[in-house]
Parts: sequence; C-alpha cells; structure tokens
Amino acid sequence: MKKNTLLSIWIVLVALTIITALITKIELKNTAIVILFLAFIKIISVVFYFMELKKAHSFWKFLFVTFLTSQMLVIIWLVF
Amino acid sequence: MWIIIFIELITFGIALIAFVYNGQEEPDMFSESRKLLNINYGAINTLFLLTSGYFMAKFVGAVKGRKIKMATSYLRYSIIGGLLFLGLKGIEYYEKLEAGYTIDFNTFFTYYWMLTLFHVIHVVVGLVILGSLLIGIRRNKKELLLEDVEASAAFWHMCDLIWLLLFPIIYLLN
Repeated sequence: MKKNTLLSIWIVLVALTIITALITKIELKNTAIVILFLAFIKIISVVFYFMELKKAHSFWKFLFVTFLTSQMLVIIWLVF
Repeated sequence: MWIIIFIELITFGIALIAFVYNGQEEPDMFSESRKLLNINYGAINTLFLLTSGYFMAKFVGAVKGRKIKMATSYLRYSIIGGLLFLGLKGIEYYEKLEAGYTIDFNTFFTYYWMLTLFHVIHVVVGLVILGSLLIGIRRNKKELLLEDVEASAAFWHMCDLIWLLLFPIIYLLN
C-alpha cells in the first residue's frame, strides 16, 4: 500500500464523520438513507484499507460486502 | 479471526435490526429519547476510534517493515485513542445516569445501554490486548509474531466497525 493511502483514507473518514454529524441538523426528506450510505462507505473503507481486506481472497470481500449491504437494506426497509 | 469478526458483526447487526424494529413500534418515544443523546459526543468518539484505527494500520505496516521503534509509537497512539474513547464514553454515561436515564428508563435506553456497554466491553478487551502487545514488544523486540500483531489489529478494527454501525443507528437515525 502506498505511503499516503492510509492518511488519505483517514482524512476521508474524518470528513465523512463531520458531514454525517452536520446532516442530522438539516431537515432533509431522506436523511436516514444518506446517513446509512455514509456509514456504509466508512465501514467499507476501514475494512478494505485499514484491515487490508483489499488484499484478501474475493470470497471474503464478497461475503463482507453482501453482509453489510443486506444489513443496511433491512434497516432502510424497516425505517421506510 | 475473520470468522470471529463476522460473528460479532452479525450479533450486533441482529440487535440493531431489533432496535430499529422496536423503534417503528414506538416511534415517538424513540424519537424523543434519541434527542436526549449527545450527537457531538458520538461524533467525537467516532473520530477517536477512527484515528486509533489509522495508527493501528500504521503499526501493522511498521511491524512488517521491521521498524520496531516506529511501531511502538504507533501502537501507543492507537491505545491513547482507545483510552480517549473510554474517557468520553464515561462522561456520557455519567451524564445519563445523573439525569436518570438508566437501563430501565424505557425501551430505547435499554437498547442504548446494552448495545453501547457491550461495545465498551469489546474496547476494554481490545485495550488489554494492545497493552499486552506493547509490553511484549518492549520485552522481546525481535520475537514479535506477525500473526499476533495482525490478530490484535483485526480485533481492534472490529471495535471500530461495531461503533461505525452503532453510532448512526442509535444516535442519528430519526
């Protein structure tokens, strides 16, 4: 992994966390979907870059992304 | 370790689905209760854990490159991030208890306490693992097993992941 990749990912994660906190203060129609989507991006970033799942076998990548997507879809389905 | 991580995430995932399901049955109570939580504390704690996770990833990289001195520093920063998380969580818990929002206050707070406390237990266990790793590095600099390092790092990142699921769903999803 390139030297600055981890730092770039960390900056993106911090930015997304701040954006998430700010979004809740704005009255939007689909805030819940935006919040869950940002959480999805953050979790994927941590798993793929910090935990190096990017280098793992495709099976594990597929399993993780499928699990997380299902989890998020069930919650969105319950909320709406 | 990945199997353990999946089991943990599935466990928290099911609990969160139950939380959201109950929230739909009592939307007003959940909405009012959620307003009693401090979003700033949750967001700052997210930053603490993400920063700690960043240093953990740097730590693993430094161990692989046999840069032990640098690795020790990264591990220390990672532990500090975890301790800051626990400190702020302690303040948050103290405020909730002072205000009377205990585990049996209502359904929302039952979930809040159970889920966040279960996560805090993971963080404490993670810090014990990282602490013992730090002691191990100091005592035995040359015989550091990469498997131990990677397993400890994976456990610590799992604490990040659980929190990244808990924070938006408990604190933000209205």
